[in-house]
Amino acid sequence: MLQVRDLVAAYGPIVALHGVSLEVREGSIVTVLGANGAGKSTTLRAISGLLRARSGSVEFAGQRIDHLSPEQIVSLGMSHIPEGRQLFSELTVLENLRLGAYSRFAGADGSGRLAHRQGLSLLGRLQHDLIQAATGGVRDLARLIREYRQRRQDFEAALKQIFDYFPILAERKNQIAGTLSGGEQQMLAIGRGLMARPRLLLLDEPSMGLAPLVTREIFEIIQAINRTQGVTILLVEQNANLALDIAHYGYVLETGSIALAGSSVNLRKSEAVRRSYLG
Amino acid sequence: MAEFWQQVVTGLATGSVYGLLALAIVLIYRSTTVLNFAQGEMAMFTTFAAWSILQWGEYWVMFPLVLVMAAGLGAFIERVIIRPVEGAPVLNIIIVTLGLFAIFNNIATWRWGGIPKGFPTPPEIHVTGIKFFGEGALDIGPTVVSYHDLTIMVFAVGIMLALYLFFQYTPLGLAMRATAQNPIASRLMGIRVGRMLTVGWALSATVGAVAGLLIAPLILLQPPMMMGVLLYAFAAAVLGGLDSPVGAVVGGLIIGIAENLVGTYTPKEWLGPDMKLTVTLLIIVLVLLVRPTGIFGRRALRRV
Repeated sequence: MLQVRDLVAAYGPIVALHGVSLEVREGSIVTVLGANGAGKSTTLRAISGLLRARSGSVEFAGQRIDHLSPEQIVSLGMSHIPEGRQLFSELTVLENLRLGAYSRFAGADGSGRLAHRQGLSLLGRLQHDLIQAATGGVRDLARLIREYRQRRQDFEAALKQIFDYFPILAERKNQIAGTLSGGEQQMLAIGRGLMARPRLLLLDEPSMGLAPLVTREIFEIIQAINRTQGVTILLVEQNANLALDIAHYGYVLETGSIALAGSSVNLRKSEAVRRSYLG
Repeated sequence: MAEFWQQVVTGLATGSVYGLLALAIVLIYRSTTVLNFAQGEMAMFTTFAAWSILQWGEYWVMFPLVLVMAAGLGAFIERVIIRPVEGAPVLNIIIVTLGLFAIFNNIATWRWGGIPKGFPTPPEIHVTGIKFFGEGALDIGPTVVSYHDLTIMVFAVGIMLALYLFFQYTPLGLAMRATAQNPIASRLMGIRVGRMLTVGWALSATVGAVAGLLIAPLILLQPPMMMGVLLYAFAAAVLGGLDSPVGAVVGGLIIGIAENLVGTYTPKEWLGPDMKLTVTLLIIVLVLLVRPTGIFGRRALRRV
């Protein structure tokens, strides 16, 4: 589902990734472990388009995406839940969730027709536009209403699902996001990411700053999302123990390069991982 | 007491105009942290354009035309002039907006000349026998309110209500609020941040254009007409809190009323009407000493 090859990324003159390659199979949970500053978040940022890669390639569902913007990538079915959650902290829980579904609303407006129009010659476009203006109004309106209803149902279904995973969000849906507890904020961040109905979820340190018990609960839900909805997950984590509990496969990142890769079971046995990350 | 209320009501009308222009400033500041010093001149420019259209057209034909034009102007300025300096140091952007200020001022003087022109109030409309807009005045309680002042207030309230509904209840409005708060997270949601900023400038220019159309009948149409208004509008925005649209409007109303009351009730010998600007701004400074972020401002303002 996701193929990253020889990814090199930099912040100005400082090279953060020196040729990272990794693969995420459809339906799996893959984790990227590593110390602070190893380049874990940078890897996710380069995949989701927030950071333009200097070289190398990113392929998602058979399509090169390394030259696309994050807006385009999210509408292809990849949600990035960034480090530090990045909620809209002055908006309500529900508004945050509505924004999570934004990519599904924005791209849908007559994009098929627009593509058709772009294929025409200049004169053809003019003719197309005139015919549209004369006859299209009524038809478009009917289509718009139909689409709107469809999306509305879609939205309600997605919302219901998220409230099933995180009942606390349903209780707090009109509360300002910034006033939630840390665990609830992480749940909202995940829920907001899921509202885009992604096929691949990039999760950056969901355990950050949370109590062990809350972390465990969130990891169980992440596992449930993977199992019941078939969402593929790429999980960046410092807490190697927890990450290896739910992941099928893992990579260890050290100063911008992959140092080690293997199934979770093998990584857990590896001496290097035990010494550095499992303690 | 009648005079007091009279001054308050008149203050409410001019305060509404300050509030509208302050709202235009806040709309841009909130999403880009750009203080647009050309906001007043843009409004002056579109009002001149309105005057030109009025030479051959009806007021109510001109009105929507000018709003669309103002939106286009705002969008154009954002895309062509502001976008290239996005992310530049704050001072650079301020210089750019000051440059815009000069450009609009010069073009207006060159194209339309510096002689003050009269500008009409919206012509009257009768809806089920009730007169809206037009000339004349109305007795309301102990005060006499001119139809133009009423028009200003109706427009101001209408625009604020429309903007509130837009930001609160439409997906585009929500996306614009999100962009103002967290551009990076907005991009991850699939929001095209650049487009939101363009829409923001377009909206802001439109609101400013209405302010220009409404104040022109009171102070005559001329290139420097918005300078005083802009000063009050900035004061209103700062007083209300630079990131709060509600604050901008409330700030405008407070300043409009304060200006009138100071002009009427302070003794002529040492203050009086000539000093009303100074006294009003002094009051604002005192308020800001107590609440540095303004009355409704939440975020601490960045030092610039």
